[in-house]
Amino acid sequence: MTTKFELNGQPVSVDAPDDTPLLWIIRDELNLTGTKFGCGIGECGACTVHVGGRATRSCITPLSSIEGAAITTIEGLDPEGNHVVQVAWRDQQVPQCGYCQSGQIMQAASLLKDYPQPSDDQIDGVMGGSLCRCMTYVRIRKAIKDAAGKQGGATNG
Amino acid sequence: MLKRIAAIAVGLGAAGGIGFFAYAWYPAIAPVARPAPSSFSPDAVKRGALVAAGGYCAECHTRTDNGGGPVMAGDYKMETPFGDIFSSNLTPDPETGIGNWSEAAFKRAMNLGIARDGSQLYPAFPFDHFTKVNDQDVSDLYAYLMSQPAVHQEPRKNTVPFPINIRITGQGFWKLLFFKPGRYQNDPKHDAEWNRGAYLAIGDAHCGACHTPRNLLGAEKSGSEYDGAVIDGWIAPPLNEHNPTPVVWTEEELFQYLRFGVAPLHGSAAGPMSPVPHSFLSQLPESDVRAIAHYYADVDHAATRSSGDAAAVTRAMQMSGRNLTGPQTQDADARLYQAACGACHYNSGPAPVSGRPELALNNALWLDEPNNLYQVMLHGIGAKEGQDGIAMPSFYAGLTDHDMARIAAYLRRTRTTLSPWTDLEKKAAQARATLKTPPINASH
Amino acid sequence: MGKLEQLAKAGNKPQLSRRGFLMTAAGAGLMFGFARKAQAAQTMPSAMPTEAAFEPNIWCAIAPDGSVNVNIVRAEMGQHVGTALARIIADEMEADWDHIKITEVDTGPKFAGKFVTGGSWSVWDTWDTFRQAGAAARTILVEEGAKLLGTTPDKCTARNGIVTAGSKTISYGDIVAQAKPTRSFTPEEMAKLPLKPASERRMIGKEVAALDIPDKTTGKAIYGIDVKLDGMVYGRPKMPPTRYEAKVVSVDDTEAKKIPGYIRYVVLEDPSDIVPGWVVALGKTYPAAMRAADALKVQWTPGPTIKVSEADIIDHARTLGKDAKNGTHVFNDDGVDATFKSAAKVITAEYTCASVAHYQLEPLNAVARHIDGMWEIHAGNQWQSLVLPQLSKALQVPEEQIVMRSYLLGGGFGRRLNGDYSIPAALASKAIGGAPVKLILTRSDDMAFDSIRSPSLQTISVALDSSGKKISAMNYTATAGWPTQVMAPAFLAKGLDGKYDPFALSGADHWYETGPTRVRAISNDLANRTFRPGWLRSVSAGWTPWALESFIDEVAHATGQDPVELRLSMFTATGRNAGEAPNSTNGAHRQAAVVQKLAEKIGWGKTQLPADTALGIATSFGQERGMPTWTAGAAQVHVDRKTGIVTCQKLWLVIDAGTIVDPGGALAQTEGAALWGLSMALFEGTEIVNGTIKATNLNNYTPLRIPDVPDMDIEFVESAEKPMGLGEPGVTVIAPAIGNAIFRAVGVRMRHLPMRPADVLRELNNHTV
Ligand code: FES
Ligand code: FES
Repeated sequence: MTTKFELNGQPVSVDAPDDTPLLWIIRDELNLTGTKFGCGIGECGACTVHVGGRATRSCITPLSSIEGAAITTIEGLDPEGNHVVQVAWRDQQVPQCGYCQSGQIMQAASLLKDYPQPSDDQIDGVMGGSLCRCMTYVRIRKAIKDAAGKQGGATNG
Repeated sequence: MLKRIAAIAVGLGAAGGIGFFAYAWYPAIAPVARPAPSSFSPDAVKRGALVAAGGYCAECHTRTDNGGGPVMAGDYKMETPFGDIFSSNLTPDPETGIGNWSEAAFKRAMNLGIARDGSQLYPAFPFDHFTKVNDQDVSDLYAYLMSQPAVHQEPRKNTVPFPINIRITGQGFWKLLFFKPGRYQNDPKHDAEWNRGAYLAIGDAHCGACHTPRNLLGAEKSGSEYDGAVIDGWIAPPLNEHNPTPVVWTEEELFQYLRFGVAPLHGSAAGPMSPVPHSFLSQLPESDVRAIAHYYADVDHAATRSSGDAAAVTRAMQMSGRNLTGPQTQDADARLYQAACGACHYNSGPAPVSGRPELALNNALWLDEPNNLYQVMLHGIGAKEGQDGIAMPSFYAGLTDHDMARIAAYLRRTRTTLSPWTDLEKKAAQARATLKTPPINASH
Repeated sequence: MGKLEQLAKAGNKPQLSRRGFLMTAAGAGLMFGFARKAQAAQTMPSAMPTEAAFEPNIWCAIAPDGSVNVNIVRAEMGQHVGTALARIIADEMEADWDHIKITEVDTGPKFAGKFVTGGSWSVWDTWDTFRQAGAAARTILVEEGAKLLGTTPDKCTARNGIVTAGSKTISYGDIVAQAKPTRSFTPEEMAKLPLKPASERRMIGKEVAALDIPDKTTGKAIYGIDVKLDGMVYGRPKMPPTRYEAKVVSVDDTEAKKIPGYIRYVVLEDPSDIVPGWVVALGKTYPAAMRAADALKVQWTPGPTIKVSEADIIDHARTLGKDAKNGTHVFNDDGVDATFKSAAKVITAEYTCASVAHYQLEPLNAVARHIDGMWEIHAGNQWQSLVLPQLSKALQVPEEQIVMRSYLLGGGFGRRLNGDYSIPAALASKAIGGAPVKLILTRSDDMAFDSIRSPSLQTISVALDSSGKKISAMNYTATAGWPTQVMAPAFLAKGLDGKYDPFALSGADHWYETGPTRVRAISNDLANRTFRPGWLRSVSAGWTPWALESFIDEVAHATGQDPVELRLSMFTATGRNAGEAPNSTNGAHRQAAVVQKLAEKIGWGKTQLPADTALGIATSFGQERGMPTWTAGAAQVHVDRKTGIVTCQKLWLVIDAGTIVDPGGALAQTEGAALWGLSMALFEGTEIVNGTIKATNLNNYTPLRIPDVPDMDIEFVESAEKPMGLGEPGVTVIAPAIGNAIFRAVGVRMRHLPMRPADVLRELNNHTV
């Protein structure tokens, strides 16, 4: 089956079974490996991408359900890798092994759209689905607040 | 959407008797040459397109299995406990479609459920609703259908066995009992908008076909209008005052839902309901969709029941963050909910964020059974369903029956004020069994 | 020499010359970031030194353009080890930090035997070598620079990659370009070079941005799982019912054949016996392989441990411990038995710890292929030197024909010290003629195959003297599966009467003065046979302080002493606890100092807390006596008497790890480690059921997440001593500090890890009855 969607602003067309998880399409067919495989059951957040601008676990999202949708991966969040969240992540030296961080950044970017100046509770509520086994949580929290400050409370695409 | 109707309404068996042939027999109406599309006024065709959209014709008259089929060319498979039935070809192909149907024959089908050749149609074709559609709309619909491209496509043969397949007995008898033909009559107690909404809802849109429970013989139960019913494993929720959601379906919520597929305080259209807003009602004039919403806001007594809505939203917003924020919890079920659902469903502030369906308000948690919650967990929601352009993953491979049951119990316990659901793991397995092929190729 | 030093020194085989090395390396594209597939971008700014570069030793090279490459053999798994190590060399070299590049090298003869990353000892072990390597470079650059500037070295200073003599300057790059120095140093020569005094350090101890971080924020960082080779197929194992001795009876792939993209299955033939009973489903895509493995019907004869449970393993430990002949003594001072016999009072307690899974976020995976006469293994790995001989046995080829390519690790935590996952990838590739196979374990496969932290049993007794307060003798037995015995027996430590696994004991061999003391380590053979015990972050020090520090608290309470006072009274720093330069200078005095500092910090004995809320403390020496990181920690908890839920509100740590090379990295490691400690204390832990671990994924394994993070206050003691490890010590004291706090809050003593609400409730109920 051919499925058409938009990936990081480019139209793409993929020939793969409808039930293929979006994650493997992105990683293996489209060669964007920034999106990671962690739990495979939607409970760690490592595979988080944006579908229509909202953080979505790609490991259990079938190809059939994103026909016509706009997908953004970590590689497409900002053309230069300078999204306010990415900058904050570097300023706060968040990543350790880094494996969860694409997902954390995608989730945080979408958090800031919903809650531009997130409280600790709002950070917990939204980021609680994203596991960091290196436990970089203290810095994740700091970086989110840092990014919120930098974007001045404005919502951001 | 109408699969269930087929499932029940076919099951009439040899209920008929000899004496009843007189009632059930209709003559054939002579075939005609296919009228030239140019013989219809473009305005009539345009209006007819809206009637077709308002009645979701394409939904049941377009094949979806075997790689799909041409629009309106029929062969849509409806599975019933008795066998499969396949919808007819509505394109103007003279041999396999309705190309040789006169307008009179078409009108008789809409009004009485009788095919051109005089045979009885299964009530899977909701003529009990279409009989309410006025002559002008039927005529316009005919104009529209007859001016579409003809597609030569013979539907597969029904596999319903004898004697159920002897339609003259089964279906005819059914009609005798349950069918009251006649066009919609305005109710003078209500204003024009209400009457427009009622006309559309009761007639063309045939909402009751899914939302009104049926009796053993598959007819809509009288006296239980809009009480809600199970369809294809989903619950079509009550549309009247028995709807259990904490916030009432107001006209605005109904309008948002029917027009865009999302009611901010109730959730989004998924499963069999999904095409209704997305493929069909979105084509209607906004005023018509408003009218339907206006009508149902009256049916569910929104005006008198909505006084507690503000408080309900406040309470739901307080419940939303439970176990997701604040002190640590070692409750395994809460942690499962946090891992699988929280990131997308957590809300904070005065009202839910768009795109963040608030489960404490959502239909699915407040219905009598977990059907819809389970169905959504298993299927997910595609970018073309629910809220446009965004998707919910399929937890088919992500959650075991046991996990689904844990989440359902946890949510019912912590996000609603209702009594617990029972037999949750068994029901999860049943819901899973309704999906013949896994929607996703993933593994634990 | 401690075990870790031995490990570090082992394999210092004679090195090939640079030319010889390059010739070996040339065909195979040996360096990280070199000859990778186009889409596999480099992980870090790395530079293969050009032929024109000056390479004073195997660790660094200075190119004519001034760039300095540092070779890193340690796995990058989140500790920013490359950055920390490069800081050491760059500081001593007086290099310009902006010109530093690091290269994570692949295995090869040049670095043979040096590939191990664990035990928190990368910085500690590299400290001297890298300072010497930097000094070697600086010495020559200054010598050659002086010549070019027409002066003598003593008139020159080197700073920021520039040699200055009066008003004349020349950069390192220009020196290399013009003088083309070739001199290189042997390790012996390097050891004699003068090193800068601590006061002259310009980078060590200063904040720095880790070099590996930028690519980890853009998706460019490349991990083992990201490897893609031409013609690659995907594999997923069908996991056998037991870790050992499972035999495949039959395989039926009728159903699998219906899956689009399914290629075939392979029953692995493994002469190394590391993956017995493995069947691998191969597919054109990973989803095809994934579903095919689900669809394969395999019948096995399971191994004999198919019925073993966690309780069986603990019961077996108890039986083993009862026989004095079992195990190896690490301490066995004269007079233990006599003192116990005449003791005024004896206190004994038993502590158990549950199985713990690594759940490193990147599931195990490896790509293997045979090309140009070489077996290539592409995978993140912490101990290539360990798995290379195993691969050689499995593939039946000499080690020289195997190269392991280095990638970033999506978490190590000790799981990737055990490289067993590369074996099935290699064997699957071999079965299909050496074509590239990418083997990925799904999470449930990964869990079933985990080298878990063994469940453990510890029994501690002390004799009290006539005052009823002073510990006059101690008898301590620790029983667990022994990872080193199973996976690397050559690295077992020598005890008094046999060998033992230091990674199943360290922490029990404490620095307290406890009179005649006996410490005994027992290998739980049932554990060893049931699963492959693993090294898991902080290894034995993740569970021995749990018992020891809980017990010391119990003694304090039972004898009416203040837990801080009691501890301080036992840090006499005499005898074996006096310490030795350079690693443990001042010995137990330094452990006393961190406890004292912690007590002041938390206002021990002076704070008033709400009901059912209390502070608890604990102390440890990090990983092992040979490399002590003096650690003291406190936890403030609240216990809900109705639900048994323990909420950890705040954690404090005071740590003396000697010199801190990379303060930001050190803090990050300690934050992570402390939260691991908290996670293992309250949130995670599983059990062996039917010969395998019960937890399969995050639906039933529930590690700590962001809302669970308490306030933290972490302080490093200022010190110019040799740097010790920091990856793990933060773990060690958290569980006992929480257990001790629970006791002070509600009066119940937890003796099993993790401390689950149900256990707390049960204890509360027992307590009030
Ligand atoms: S890999 Fe998708 S949520 Fe874990
Ligand atoms: S940085 Fe390693 S898992 Fe988050």
